[in-house]
Amino acid sequence: MKLQVKRLLSQILIFFSANLGAFGLKTGFCYPFFYCHSCPASTSACPLRALEQSVYSKSFTWYFFVYPILILGFFGVLTGRAVCGWACPIGLLQRATGKVARRLKKYQVFDEIITKKIDRYLKYAKYFVLIGLVILTSWLIGFMLTDICPIGFLTGTIPTLLLYPGKFVPNTFFLISLIIFILFLVLIFIVERGWCRYFCPIGAFLAPFNKISYLHVSRVEEEKFEKECIKCNACSKNCPMGIDVTKLYRDPECILCGKCITVCPKNLIEFRRK
Amino acid sequence: MKKFFVAQITIILIFAGGLSGIFLYTDVYENVQSRIVNVLCLSCLKLEPKTSIDFVFDTANGKPHPEFVIENLTIGPVFLHFSEDVCHGCEVMHPVIEKFFNISFEKTDSVYEIKNIQGTSVVYFYINIDHTTPELRNSLYIYDKDNVQGLPMFSMISLGYDKGIVKPYFTSVYGTLKDTDQERLDVFSSILQEGIEIYEQNIDGFLKLRI
Repeated sequence: MKLQVKRLLSQILIFFSANLGAFGLKTGFCYPFFYCHSCPASTSACPLRALEQSVYSKSFTWYFFVYPILILGFFGVLTGRAVCGWACPIGLLQRATGKVARRLKKYQVFDEIITKKIDRYLKYAKYFVLIGLVILTSWLIGFMLTDICPIGFLTGTIPTLLLYPGKFVPNTFFLISLIIFILFLVLIFIVERGWCRYFCPIGAFLAPFNKISYLHVSRVEEEKFEKECIKCNACSKNCPMGIDVTKLYRDPECILCGKCITVCPKNLIEFRRK
Repeated sequence: MKKFFVAQITIILIFAGGLSGIFLYTDVYENVQSRIVNVLCLSCLKLEPKTSIDFVFDTANGKPHPEFVIENLTIGPVFLHFSEDVCHGCEVMHPVIEKFFNISFEKTDSVYEIKNIQGTSVVYFYINIDHTTPELRNSLYIYDKDNVQGLPMFSMISLGYDKGIVKPYFTSVYGTLKDTDQERLDVFSSILQEGIEIYEQNIDGFLKLRI
């Protein structure tokens, strides 16, 4: 079976297993990816909510802090950001919208301004989201990212409104969340994997694990690569995270989707263990 | 390379051991299940349930009314205020309730007060589901009339007459109810008013049944 078909199947299967709450399965686990426990069908908790809850308003509940870190860290040290590419339902959504973003990339304005100029700096924004909006504002002023989270809006608010029409009314966070959700939609349609690249706090948490993860994607040995690479650049052109794959070695942005492996005509990029 | 591999395996073992330990020696799994997954976070949802103050006889999950409610119904109608630590709506409603019942408490406290309102004793319980007993926590699901499973939730349990029997008769409202504190106080006033009226009509029958 082709690698990308396997990945699609994995994403679909995990999407369904993340929603087994529809059949009454509500567990005490945290998702190792971004998905909202307010989704009517959710199976587990959002790891960010557990983190926020652990430090909310200058309190500290150690096990709510350590638990999501251990879950994310366990997956991170084994597979790096592979959960972003192979498991995350929001990744699956962006896989679909990525086709539009890829077409837009042909226009110079998108390629030059967004992909090249903004990307360089904006990719650090996700670390500010993680530390600033998940930890610091929760700790200092009791304001949490999950209150305005676009993923919560997509997977919690919209399904709830559709399933229970007339039962709920918007609260104070609704309008700002709606605006952020619209911006999120615009982003994922104009930048391939825009959410993962720039704003996903789970991606920010997992990114450093790429440096030490057991499984990773890298070029073959330097000598062989230099000798056989035909400089077609197909790997970088197809990378949904905008990585210069010709220099790839344990890049924190890599989501191990394997697109570069699939498209390389010389098989010079590979999954590696250790 | 060998050193790096050893370091990798060590880190994997630390995380795996940490996860096993936290599952074995803490109740984090149950806490996440009961405090995050099973309770709907209304602020995460960016929505609030529409409030209707219709009183009903049947409990939400079909379980009997808890003993602490039955006991206190001999004193007066019972008002249950459900809250949790991390909840924007709960923080909005906390001062409203303090003003309404003229009491002061911390959000992590457990509160049991008997207040005299319009000549009738009203029993007030503040139940923070993160700091309470299983019996009190489970009453959330018993009185979750509209099956919202969201917080904050306020339940007024009074007495009603149903097919010849006086039984607990209750309503629950959710979230921040209205836009201003005054409007919220008005909602509580109207619920309490109705609760007290039907309580007064039925308390004699209830006490006879208890004897």
